[in-house]
Amino acid sequence: MSTERKPVTDPRTGEPLPQRAQPGYYSGFKTLSQQAFWDQATRDVVLRRVEYVPPIRFFNEQEAATMLAVVDRILPQEDRLPSTRIPLLPGLDERLFENRLEGYRYEDMPPDQEAYRIAARAFEAMAQELHGQSFHLLPTLQQEEILQSIHDGKPLAASQLWNRMNVERFWMLLVSDCCAAYYSHPWAWDEIGYGGPAYPRAYMRLTEGEPEPWEKGEQRYQWSPPADTLSGAAQPPAKGSAHQSHPGQAGTH
Amino acid sequence: MTSDFLYRLDTSPRALVKLLPQVVRPPADVALQHIQSGTFQRSMSLLVMGTSAVSGLEVAYEHYRGSYSNPIMYTPVILSGVLSIAGAAAFFSRRMARTFLRYTSFLTVVDGLIGFGFHIRGVQRKPGGWRLPITNIVMGPPIFAPLLFGTSAYLGILASYLQREEDFGQQKIKLESAGNGLHKTDWREDIRTGRFQKHLCVVTAVGTLCSGGEAFYSHYKDNFKYRVQWSPLIVTPLLAGAALGAFASETCANTLLPLAAGAAILNGVAGTFYHVRGILSRPGGKKKPLYNTLYGPPIFAPLLFSAAGMLGMLAYLMRRERR
Amino acid sequence: MVHLGAMQKIKPPQRIFRDDEEVDYVIVGVGSAGGVLLQRLARAGFKVLGMEAGKFWDTERDWVSDEAGSHQLYWNDLRITGGEHPLALGSNNSGKGVGGGSVHWAAFTPRFHPSDFEVYTRDGVGADWPLSYEELEPYYELLEQEIPVAGPAWYPWGKPHGHPYAPHPMGGVGDVLIKGCTKLGIPVSAGGPVAILSASRGNRPHCIYRGFCIQACKVGAKASTLITHVPDALEHGAEVRDRSMVARISMRPDGRTDGVVYIDRDGRERFQRARAVIVSGYAIETPRLLLNSACPGHEHGLANSSGTLGKYLMAQAGNVVLGRFDELIRMYKAPPAHALTEEFYETDPKRDFARGFAIQTVGPLPIAFSKQMMAAKGLWGWSMRREMMEYNHWAALGLLGEILPWADNRVELAAERDQYGLRVAKVTFRLRDNDKKLIEFGKNKVMEVMHAAGAVEVVQESRYAHLVGAARMGKDPSTSVCDKFGRTWDIPNLFVMDGSVMPTQGSANPGLTIQALAARTADYLITQGDAIFNSASRDMTPPPVCRSLSPPDTFTSGAPHLR
Repeated sequence: MSTERKPVTDPRTGEPLPQRAQPGYYSGFKTLSQQAFWDQATRDVVLRRVEYVPPIRFFNEQEAATMLAVVDRILPQEDRLPSTRIPLLPGLDERLFENRLEGYRYEDMPPDQEAYRIAARAFEAMAQELHGQSFHLLPTLQQEEILQSIHDGKPLAASQLWNRMNVERFWMLLVSDCCAAYYSHPWAWDEIGYGGPAYPRAYMRLTEGEPEPWEKGEQRYQWSPPADTLSGAAQPPAKGSAHQSHPGQAGTH
Repeated sequence: MTSDFLYRLDTSPRALVKLLPQVVRPPADVALQHIQSGTFQRSMSLLVMGTSAVSGLEVAYEHYRGSYSNPIMYTPVILSGVLSIAGAAAFFSRRMARTFLRYTSFLTVVDGLIGFGFHIRGVQRKPGGWRLPITNIVMGPPIFAPLLFGTSAYLGILASYLQREEDFGQQKIKLESAGNGLHKTDWREDIRTGRFQKHLCVVTAVGTLCSGGEAFYSHYKDNFKYRVQWSPLIVTPLLAGAALGAFASETCANTLLPLAAGAAILNGVAGTFYHVRGILSRPGGKKKPLYNTLYGPPIFAPLLFSAAGMLGMLAYLMRRERR
Repeated sequence: MVHLGAMQKIKPPQRIFRDDEEVDYVIVGVGSAGGVLLQRLARAGFKVLGMEAGKFWDTERDWVSDEAGSHQLYWNDLRITGGEHPLALGSNNSGKGVGGGSVHWAAFTPRFHPSDFEVYTRDGVGADWPLSYEELEPYYELLEQEIPVAGPAWYPWGKPHGHPYAPHPMGGVGDVLIKGCTKLGIPVSAGGPVAILSASRGNRPHCIYRGFCIQACKVGAKASTLITHVPDALEHGAEVRDRSMVARISMRPDGRTDGVVYIDRDGRERFQRARAVIVSGYAIETPRLLLNSACPGHEHGLANSSGTLGKYLMAQAGNVVLGRFDELIRMYKAPPAHALTEEFYETDPKRDFARGFAIQTVGPLPIAFSKQMMAAKGLWGWSMRREMMEYNHWAALGLLGEILPWADNRVELAAERDQYGLRVAKVTFRLRDNDKKLIEFGKNKVMEVMHAAGAVEVVQESRYAHLVGAARMGKDPSTSVCDKFGRTWDIPNLFVMDGSVMPTQGSANPGLTIQALAARTADYLITQGDAIFNSASRDMTPPPVCRSLSPPDTFTSGAPHLR
């Protein structure tokens, strides 16, 4: 990224915190260290995710530059050392290239591939319209103002493009895709203290948050998001907005 | 010299009983004489009845937790019931003690050994098998439980070879088992006459190690969240060591053994208290009595530890084998 | 050899029927219902063939212990969803592959309550079932023994009963539900009822509490018809033809079906002759297939003379209530399904809506949880990263609320076509007043429980769970698609048997009821014998319960329990 990004800070002093190989409160926890106790099929899937970064095939160069900047704001990683940042765009690009679906499409949405193409153009168009510059070259705050308006369902510009879809649904699609890429990665599991694959390894300490012998207890520290971000605080959706419907059912009952 | 004093201090049961206050001395003395001469079949049978009922209850709920997924899991439950009845019968009848109680006890020991085999197989059949020994022992069928289950049957076997209380003083030497008189096996004679201290020491050591092993992995499962969970693991080597020491040395049998056995008994009683408290403090507490007993700290497990201590204490009270 | 769980291996020795060989039954969809039907009919000696659009899984090779890697278990082909309150489809509500949805269900297996079978009579809303609880009860007992169900020895709701396998130990989320409920004086069931082994059975091991139930159970501890019924079916001469997508049901001029047209694994269109067809494709694919099979004489789709095909589609309200605790929970451990309360299941005259809801444990893994955080708290960027670092402090409880059947909640055909060239389903959904009031009340109740358990922050996400209806059974041919055995009113040798036949849905997870209905229909078909193939007369006598067709190990394991 050509633009300077501000670091996360210590809330007590306001001083920048150093980048970490592994942010989060489970220092020293490594799910990958357990891979000898995973089954072969799972090991293959998870290791491929770590070792193989698919090439960008769906997005063209311009779209890829824009979308890279977008996903970097959806899940920013400036607190991580550059070598341990989790690539998000290649996974999204691969899904779109292979047209892997979630099993449905809202009637007020174009197909996923089309939605992303429109969005990539729209983000760039918004940047040009508002700031006369490419989206990926904008400073954090200006990028996030644009994203925030999509989150709110009220695009600041490029409305003729955004009119072609339900903007709130697109936002949920985008955030979901980014989260799926980030939180499927073992480095993210280490960050949040999630145990990862568990067959045939199994769990024996089921209650009261007790760690398994190979897990770690929590070692909390304080940090604040960078000063120039809009995404630092929760933004509960207004009642009746599309957020109160369903971003895909994976994961519960 | 302190060491000299200690050396001369007689802590054998016979000596200690003399130090008891006047009020309790005579009955204690009588009890000790009965124990040391092997004439306590009826008392021992009652004990078998009691312990067997408790272990039957335990195995019934432990196997319920295992959903009786294999019909063989009913056998220890049934046998415990039968053994308990046999204990009661043996209290009333000498013949019952020598037949019903004896055969039921042997059968129950065999069942315990078979169960041990099944529990090992159960661990092996868990995903990952012995490649994940810790997880699978902790989460699989309790591996030593079937052996511990054999404790009351073991007491039943002992009881069946003892003399009855009323035989005290009448030195009947007739050997009931040696019908043809050709092979007079010494261990039976030893039991009959209350001389089985060394033998009991070995059993105590084995029982202690099994029970301590169970305590280790169940407390490990709980991540040793409370420091007191280490206590049975401190007492285990003490008692097992003392029991083995007592096997070799009479001095040890009169000193370390009763101390360690006493510690184990107390530890088990304290453990029971903590386990009950643990059950009550689980989510739902008293409102989910059955579920919380099923999955809370095992309520009878500390008593099994006490039982090992009790075996050690009994060993202390016995006379040593002649050999 | 194909692995079915950690211990079970089978050789698929399958009998393979030729296309021109007339089989007795073709079952379309080998899922919860299809698997049970296949096994019963094969044991009874019928020539039976199960067509499955997805593949025959090898659980060791195909399944992974990973959230994102389990995408292939779901029905991911295109469907269009809309209406005022559109349903999300795909992942949790339709499976693809042998075992169907039972491969990735959470395996909660409560029975329906007696009241569920007469909702209209009692409350004047919804519909009555053409059968009573008592008619289905022996099949509940049988299936609970077969799959088997682990749960408490005394289950107080509906018709009280016990379970053949012992309840499970619980994880952190179960503890939260028990704590919250007992604090409020709400009775709650701990450790079940779930179709997950709390002890081994035959060559299926005990649960290992790894928490990947809905990513398919590699262990083989969680029941799916793939491991409980299909192996026995194959052993008894059934064929499962996987990766075969049925395109339409073929009709003869005399108004009977003579088989199905399907697209095989190589993409060729083929025709399989059959004396009778059972459609078990679940609430969307079943009506879609019947609609796509429209032909002269059946212009609006097969079995649709009543016009109700595709209508009365139901989903349950599945709001997820999330609570953050000061202490660690680690909700990824233990099966997501392991405790529930049905205390609010029945209509309560003190409330301003009919019917009720259940509260259940759920245990979202990180990706699902992040999406819930996005929906519930509007998180993205740094706030998402920060909240995800708190993942181990959150617990999740699910509402399972009854939504009533409404005619215009429906499945139709969209203009778009899928990879086979078949028109895809379009689903339309809208909540009514009663549904909204129920959800509002239920959601608040779950939040109250979460607070009572000690949560320091409680948020919720609206969503739905399960799909049933859209080819409902009934007593009256003018208002239903099929009779109480799933036999369509219009075509005597065409059956529907899966969740789509349900007239109402209660607030119980539908899996067990689907399997029980399928076992009952199997008994009916076996009792009727050749009459199904030759005659149009409709014998409505309930069949005797056949206990000799259960898979091996059914009656040799399990604890004594209250029936």
